[in-house]
Amino acid sequence: MTVHDMKHAASDSARLEAVGGRLSRVDGPAKITGKAHYAFEQQLEGLTHAVLVSATIAAGKVIGIDTRAAETAPGVLAVLTPDTIMVLKGASDWLGNPPAQPTYNPLAREVTFSGQHIAAVVAETFEQAVAAAALVKVSYDETPAIVDLSDGTDGIPIEAMTKEWGNAEAAFAAAPVRVCAAYNTPREFQAAMEPHGLIARWQGDELTIWEPSQWVDGMARTYAEWFGVPFENVRLVSPYIGGGFGSKALALAHSAVAAAAAKMLGRPVKLVLNRPQNFTSYGGRAATRQTVAIGADKAGRIQSIVHRGVNETAVDGMWVEPLGSVTAIMYATPNFSSKQNVVRVNTVVPGAKRAPGENPSAFGIECAIDELAYELGIDPLEMRLINYAEQDPQVKKPWSTRQLREAFAAGAEAFGWAKRSPAPHSMRDGRQLVGWGVAAGTYPVRRAYGEAMVKILADGSVEVESSSIDMGQGTYTILAQTAAETLGVPVEQVTVKLGDSLLARAGVTGGSRLAGVMTGAVYKAASQALDELVGLALSDPRSPFHGLQANTLAVKDGRIASPRGEGPELSIAELMGMLGRERIEAKGDTVPAGFTPEQRYNNYTTIAMALPHTEGDYSRHSWCAHFVEVRVDEDFGTVRVSRVVSALDSGRLYNPKLAESQWKGGIIMGIGQALLEEGIVDRRHGRIVNGNFADYMLPTNADIPDIQTISVGIPDPHSSALGGKGVGELGIVGVAPAIANAVFHATGKRVRDLPITLEKLI
Amino acid sequence: MTSQTHAGQTIIDPPEDGQFRNGQATNGSTPSPTTLSLHLTINGQTHALEVEPRVTLLDALRERLHLTGTKKGCDQGQCGACTVHVDGERVLACLTLAAQVEGRSVTTIEGLAGEDGTLNAVQAAFLEQDAFQCGYCTPGQIMSAVACIREGHAGSDEEIREYMAGNLCRCGAYPHIVAAVRQAAQELRS
Repeated sequence: MTVHDMKHAASDSARLEAVGGRLSRVDGPAKITGKAHYAFEQQLEGLTHAVLVSATIAAGKVIGIDTRAAETAPGVLAVLTPDTIMVLKGASDWLGNPPAQPTYNPLAREVTFSGQHIAAVVAETFEQAVAAAALVKVSYDETPAIVDLSDGTDGIPIEAMTKEWGNAEAAFAAAPVRVCAAYNTPREFQAAMEPHGLIARWQGDELTIWEPSQWVDGMARTYAEWFGVPFENVRLVSPYIGGGFGSKALALAHSAVAAAAAKMLGRPVKLVLNRPQNFTSYGGRAATRQTVAIGADKAGRIQSIVHRGVNETAVDGMWVEPLGSVTAIMYATPNFSSKQNVVRVNTVVPGAKRAPGENPSAFGIECAIDELAYELGIDPLEMRLINYAEQDPQVKKPWSTRQLREAFAAGAEAFGWAKRSPAPHSMRDGRQLVGWGVAAGTYPVRRAYGEAMVKILADGSVEVESSSIDMGQGTYTILAQTAAETLGVPVEQVTVKLGDSLLARAGVTGGSRLAGVMTGAVYKAASQALDELVGLALSDPRSPFHGLQANTLAVKDGRIASPRGEGPELSIAELMGMLGRERIEAKGDTVPAGFTPEQRYNNYTTIAMALPHTEGDYSRHSWCAHFVEVRVDEDFGTVRVSRVVSALDSGRLYNPKLAESQWKGGIIMGIGQALLEEGIVDRRHGRIVNGNFADYMLPTNADIPDIQTISVGIPDPHSSALGGKGVGELGIVGVAPAIANAVFHATGKRVRDLPITLEKLI
Repeated sequence: MTSQTHAGQTIIDPPEDGQFRNGQATNGSTPSPTTLSLHLTINGQTHALEVEPRVTLLDALRERLHLTGTKKGCDQGQCGACTVHVDGERVLACLTLAAQVEGRSVTTIEGLAGEDGTLNAVQAAFLEQDAFQCGYCTPGQIMSAVACIREGHAGSDEEIREYMAGNLCRCGAYPHIVAAVRQAAQELRS
């Protein structure tokens, strides 16, 4: 076994292209020139187009579908209804649990939410399919719908969400200072710019799907199970993803419709959801309600936190948005209680949106601690430091790393927090009331086992292969950097191939886990490839290094030599030529030895084998502190965010340029959540009435000020192989409460219902 | 086909009778709607197309001409992802019929770089400033930014924000887009 020299890595760590360097996106040139072909932009011979017909009621039965006009419309190839679409097999869920039902029909007879797919029209052209879909007439037997959380009962208790220690209710009742309030967040949507959609093509019993995917292998498994074909028969291709934010990890009903239509027609089918359908075909963030009660002593030390939460879920599907996740760990408290219910309403099953759980959880606790600060007349930042949790209060384990104190200090310094006037309604600039607010955020370090293929080719170039994906986080770039640094080759020599289920397997890209998992796997595979190269160079009689008596060789800038400087120096291509090798391949993984093939399969196609963030001796989380300035128009109540400074601890950053972009993106989505975004449901028909980009308001460029981000992280060896923690979800957590707190500081009005719109302030 | 300009707004006349023709039956019984024979000039190249009058410029580009750099985000004129230039002005391809641009010069993201591959100053600045993440809104942002600078609306960060507000970016690259437009505008001025 050869031990290769990794010293070159450390000595070059300041270089742009090494891990930690600010290399520009390697997929950037393709994206800025229009050459990046996204999944459903593939050009196929004989492609047909499918358009869905969606339910216009939220509850009831489909009693008739008149397809005659659609069937005779120009170009129409098929009109599929619940009665005519092929019936699929049930598929296991993302935990790998077997299906509840043996069969699955992706078109509904029983309607449980508005927008549910009822029928589909397939035609030669997109325009023909759109026109014919409008001719399908559906008749319903409508029944009353539950349109939102407040219409339901108290809901269903989710026992697994209960977290308790001490005697929280009694300690709260006995506390000398108490605050208690309710905090609400509305239904929110991921609203990725690229709509959901796919192209499905069957060749015999082999299925190829081109579909934007945060989880190529997990979705391929679902297709395989739906159609009863082996996993290997499904190829899912997702080279670029036009934004996911949690929404593109699962194969959905419309996916099944397209794949079934392709099988039935024997032709490839393209189905892309139109923008309104993107608000109803998959779940956004569930609407939530929380009450947070904090009892403290007169010095501001928390004695007890009592938290109750509820989120909406679907009539025929379960989604739990863990509302106590931040509540339980942000502050030290001797007494704590958190419980959660869900309420079934007539909606599509809610789903994951950036920092599911942590995001609304932080809105509750980070507003409540602010209210406690004002109650006691203590600076809100000082309040947080008084109650700083030195260890994980819930599991009583030390933090792996927690640079939150450093985040507060760095953020406050850069923001100028010390110049804040403490009283609400005390800072103004002309007719604008100015408010400064702070809030903290956190996200657990989700870990999983990964694998990667690294190939050294005859010309000295390197290929990295993985079925993991890049939806803008920078996977292509950081994996190229990892391979380049590990192998000692210039980054231009590295090609990264992602987003194809034929490649080395990968688990879900969600929960900010991918970078940590994949840099570790690529490091392992690249190290193995380098070991093999160096081993051959030393042992093969054709190699000029043979007989050098060296026990290792070093590679730097793509050239290989003895670290002592004796003997020749060759390019990798020259050495490969002398060795007569076409390629050196190494598939490296971080999977425990002794895993069976089935365990490996489940590792990549379910989330059941992810490692708990509190496993072993440490509790692992990333942390952040947001400092926000708002300006509220005194007459009209309009709120503008005028300044943001955020200090974040994501551990070691693999590429700070890209990490800063993700942080800022999270912060901007948080500004949207705080001030703009709300799915509005028509009470008569349980229908989302603002399911488009004009009425569901996303932040625009004109809404966003300059944002300063500061990295306060240090390498965390307990969180990942290379020392990073999560980046993508962290940035949004704590933004909405920081804005709500700033609005209170500006106006003296406490808005506890998001979004903070002008009518709530005047 | 002729086009006229009234009060700064361009109005395009419908095609003349001779350009319509009856389509072929596609399913044996029902005739397809009338199709148009169009000649579109895209990125300096002329493309002949047989399309129904209802086909948008966006779908003509993406589905017929396989120029998929122009993105469909909403198909409702709300997101800006489909922004292209028609006679040098920024236009939403999803709200423009293919037939409307006959005789006019269309530029898409694929036609922005020089023939030798030299990036437009805006493209280069987007890469350097990391003004995108997923890249899906990016072609529209870049086409908008080129026009924004050309219109003289890149004089300050405030002005850039306002005149780039029609292009949504859900990844939240806005501050970097402003930096990229500012940088490109400065380079183009100097």
